[in-house]
Formats: sequence, structure tokens, C-alpha cells
Amino acid sequence: MAQVKNWQLNREMQYPYDDNRPKKQIAYIFDTNKCIACQTCTVACKTTWTSGKGQETMFFNNVETKPYGGYPLKWDVNTLKTMGDQPWDKTTKTFKGKTIFEESGGDNVKGWRPEERDYAFPNMGEDECSGIVNKGSFFSGIHDVWMFYLARICNHCSYPACLAACPRKAIYKRQEDGIVLIDESRCRGYRECVKACPYKKTFFNMVTRVSEKCIGCYPLVEQGEQPRCVQTCIGKIRMQGFISKPGEARADNPIDQLVHIKKIALPLYPQHGTEPNVYYVPPIHVPVDFLNQLFGPGVENAIAAYKKVKEDKQALGAFLLFGNSPKTIHSYKVEGDFTVGYNEQGEVLTRVPFTEPVFVRPYSDEKYGTFRHNTP
Amino acid sequence: MKTKNCLLIIAIIGAFASNAQTGLTIKSGKVDSIPKKNSKSSIWTKVAPVSVTVLPQNITSPKLQKSTIPSVKVTSINDGITIGFLLEWTDSTKDIFVDADKFCDQVAIQLPMDAAQNPIFMMGNKNGRVHIIHWKSVWQNDIENGFRDVKEAYPNYWTDVYPMAERQGDGSMGKYARDVSVKDYSKGQGKNFIPGFYAGNPMSIFDRKDPSEECIAEGFGTLTTQETQNATAWGTWENNKWSVIITRAINSSDPQDAALPEKTKIAFAVWNGADENVSGRKHYSMWNDLVIEK
Repeated sequence: MAQVKNWQLNREMQYPYDDNRPKKQIAYIFDTNKCIACQTCTVACKTTWTSGKGQETMFFNNVETKPYGGYPLKWDVNTLKTMGDQPWDKTTKTFKGKTIFEESGGDNVKGWRPEERDYAFPNMGEDECSGIVNKGSFFSGIHDVWMFYLARICNHCSYPACLAACPRKAIYKRQEDGIVLIDESRCRGYRECVKACPYKKTFFNMVTRVSEKCIGCYPLVEQGEQPRCVQTCIGKIRMQGFISKPGEARADNPIDQLVHIKKIALPLYPQHGTEPNVYYVPPIHVPVDFLNQLFGPGVENAIAAYKKVKEDKQALGAFLLFGNSPKTIHSYKVEGDFTVGYNEQGEVLTRVPFTEPVFVRPYSDEKYGTFRHNTP
Repeated sequence: MKTKNCLLIIAIIGAFASNAQTGLTIKSGKVDSIPKKNSKSSIWTKVAPVSVTVLPQNITSPKLQKSTIPSVKVTSINDGITIGFLLEWTDSTKDIFVDADKFCDQVAIQLPMDAAQNPIFMMGNKNGRVHIIHWKSVWQNDIENGFRDVKEAYPNYWTDVYPMAERQGDGSMGKYARDVSVKDYSKGQGKNFIPGFYAGNPMSIFDRKDPSEECIAEGFGTLTTQETQNATAWGTWENNKWSVIITRAINSSDPQDAALPEKTKIAFAVWNGADENVSGRKHYSMWNDLVIEK
């Protein structure tokens, strides 16, 4: 095992391979506060990549309702149970517990393998809240029960557990963009990756008898476009970009701005040690203890910063770019009342106003001699 | 780091080699013909079997933590052209399917390309290539009962139209939405939606002719399917026991096949599907001497 630096844990950790960060690292930010679980992302991904034979129960992208939902069934609970209690030092934000690579019981990664049946209920727990809404509390403002939607894809981890577990080295991380792929011609279907991935985002195909996973829509990414699940998100909760290496954050990179600088977007289950690259804005109405377990010790700061985002033009400028261009935004600039997104070549991709202009059209249109209605 | 690991593995293997059973001799007796599918043929009784101890693989990851198969009974015969091995072991469950949580029973023989090079008994080493003939029960089932398609595994399943499936055969969209077989589906544009098959993966063969696969290897993780497949295998499960016959030509024209001089070496590996044995999670034997009566 090599010693590598995991910035999300604020410490070094063990990993089977030496540190070899790619030239660029794909990263995503998902704002859980905006997701309505319409599953447009799920359908876009499914119809594009996993609608063939043997992929019937395969979802590279899914949206589940927390606290009870999860696909495959109890993926998160089972990983947590496998690892047991693992503490953080909340003051220094340093992980004091063991990662899946450090307590692996003789193998490269400690994991568990879902059963066939666990893939049978992709919408288990959907729209269920944490408890019963007490009689009368419908009318008393904020409820004391909660739920939120967690959209999930492969995290294209900096230290992928799937890659670490594959005895054939059939899984690789691309230098050009950090996307993690399974070599479909080399895999022999051992399912070690399925067992190892703490997010359960590698899947066994019972027809081809080899494993498959989210490919980060690399054919789109190679053309400077954001992946399908990002482009199709009607709630504009997602942004795909590239995250800078730790210590090299650029203020004009919207991903860096929200992850490294403002620390509003946090990794999912960083304690497992894979350094995942999908970053979540935590839901503001959920108990902090639950969120600490999901997103680590930065939750309270993230929520506080998110609540004040109206006053932070740089952060707000980054958020406003979500869903406003099919292309990948590499840098942005706040220019007066606009935030402007640029591609890698510095060309303008989108200009988004901080305040949407309001146009009031007269009810009576003199020119056409008609009346306007607010209905289609 | 790599060199250090390599030395460690060699040291561990050395330690095992000195402790485990070594020096068994498997004599391949001369007979008139090889019964390639009939393990009950009296021809197999003409040679005394050898019981080869197998150990759980715990040298490299992924490891097998507990042993469920103590030994494999090996009988070898040859007719001067073909050599056959009858491999028998106790297994109370017949595991012939693979799925997210299903693993199949398997057995393999390993021969050194050049016995003089003395490759490491665990899949060889760089410049110490080995030839492996691998039998899997899932492939045997493909041939005996047909490829286990989605419908065979889940008779009541439903799915929307498979992309491009409506263009296959004479099916209308409604019918073919569910009923297209992977064999038909893979013939047309549907192959774009079967990634393993599209990539030519040797695991994704839907019309397998023989339940064996010939491979070459030069160490852990290097198993590679041979370009020419000319070995055979056939397995039978009865009375809590697998009996698998593996055959190959003694003088093969395939340069990727191991030469079989009068005296060479042979090793075995066996997997118990019920105990989730797969890949390195297997039972292995040390090298044994193989003497071919010609």
C-alpha cells in the first residue's frame, strides 16, 4: 500500500497505488435543495447508456429519497455497517477513523456485494419522510419531519475503490479528464469492483457476464459538453466542470469557487476515503447529525454560507451558471449584473443576469387588436 | 514499491512451496481412445487416480479466506494423440449460474510453456509463461440447456423496447420488446447496447461451442484468452461430485499451447461457486510432475 494525500480527509491515507492525479479531474456539483426527483436525469442516462439486454436493473444515474430510499437497496447503510463507527475530529476537520482501504481485512478494499434482489427496488422509500407528521402540524409552519432527494452517479473518485479492487487492472482512470472506466474487453466479470465501490455504482451485466459503470458521458465531455444527466436537468441543480488539484484552486473556476474556496459543496461519504468528485450542496432543513454522516464535518459551514449566498456575488455568480449552457464552463467572471461563463478557449458560453428582467405586457394589445391571457 | 512487493510475493510463495504438498507424480497412461464426455467410462479406471491437495489462495488479493475443497482427484490417460484429464472433487451444490450474487463452479489445469524455466506455480511469471485450460459450469450449462437469457432467469420480467430490437427478425415492436433473444439482438444494431459483446469480450459469447477456455498467463492478473481454442472439456455433476474431463492434443500446432514432452509439470485450481469463489478466490495446487506414457 502507498501513502497518498486525501484532501477531503485532511490527512494521508493508504491506497494500493501511488498518487497519480490526472491532468484534469471531472467534477460535478449537485444542489440537493433544488432537486425535485423528476428523474429526467435518470431517464436520459438510461435511454442513452443502459437500455440494452442485461442492463434492465442498471442505473448509472438514480435519484433516491433520503432517509429511507437507496438503490441498490440500503447501499449506504450496508457500507456504513461494514465499516462500523469511524470518527472525525470536527475541530480540525480531520478524519480519525479508518477508510475502506485501511481496514480491508486482507483484501485491497473492504466492501460488501449486493444481492440480485437489492437491484429490484430502484424507488424504494420514494417520497417517504423521516417520520409521521403529527396531527395539526400541517398548519404550524415548519414540520419536524424531513426528507430530501439525493441524485447519484459514479463519483469518478480520485482514489477509486473499483480500480483498487480489480485484480486484472481492467479499470482505469483517464489522464485527460479523470473519468474512471471499465475496459469492456478486459473485464472478466469477477465483481470485485461491485463489492468494493462504496457507492455501488459498478454493475454486473448478467448477459455479457462482465461489469459496467457510468462513463461520465465521455464522448460529450471530449467535445466540451456536459454529460447527459447534467444537460437534461430541468431543475438546473447540476453543473459539471473540472476541479483543480488541492492547493491549486482558481477563484474563476465555478467548481473550485464552490468546493475549495466557499466550501458550500461537499463530497458524499468522504470517510470511505475514495475522494469522490460529485459535490453536494447539503439540504438546509435536515438534522446536522444526519448530514455529517453523509457529507462530513463541513455541513454547518456549508449551510450557513448557502443561506447567505445572496450576499456573496462570487458564489451566487457560480450558482447562476448551473443549467445555463450545455457546454462545460471552465471559468467565469462577475460583470456588473451578469455572471459570464467561458469555455477553455476563453470564449463566452453564457451570460446570466443576477436578476431576471421583468417585462410587463399590456393586457390589451393595440397593434393586433387582441387581449393577452396568461394561459397557453 | 513494485520490486519490494514482487520480492515479498516470491518469498511467501517460497515459504508455501516448502510447506505444501509437493512432488506428486501424475502418470498419463496409454489407452486406445479418450472418452471426452463420459467420466464413467471404464477406460478411466485403467490408471490409478492421484489425490492432489488444494489450498485456499491467500497470497495475492483478492484472497480466499476459507477452504471448502480439500483435494481434487486427478486421472490422466492418453491415446498418443490426445491427452485427457479427469478431475473429480466433492461439491454438495451444483452452481451453474452467474448473476450479481451468483458464482459458478470451475476447474482449471495449468501447464508450463517450458518446464525448464520453472515458472511460478501461481499463473506463471514474466518470461515464465503458462498455458491454462479452464472449464466453467456456466458455460457447460449454456451448451446443455441454452444460453441463460434474461427471460430464463426472470420469466415474469418486463422491460420497454430494447433499442433496435424492433428491427430484428419478424417481431413487431410489442412482441419483441420483451422476447428478443440476446443471440438475435446481438446480430443487428442491438450489439451497440451490449457493451461486452461489442468489445469482443470472450466472456460475452452467446453461442459457445465448448465449455472450456484456453488461456495464457505470465503472472497475477495477466490471464489472456488464446487466439485459437482447440481444447475440450465436459463436466458432470452427480451425487455431490463434479467430474470434469479436459482434453487437448499432445502435439499441438498452436504455438500458444504448452509443449508436452514425456515429463513436464501440471498444477490445478478449483472454485466453489456456492462460497462465492471467483478470480483469485480459488483453491490451488503446487506444481506436480506429469509423466506421459507415449
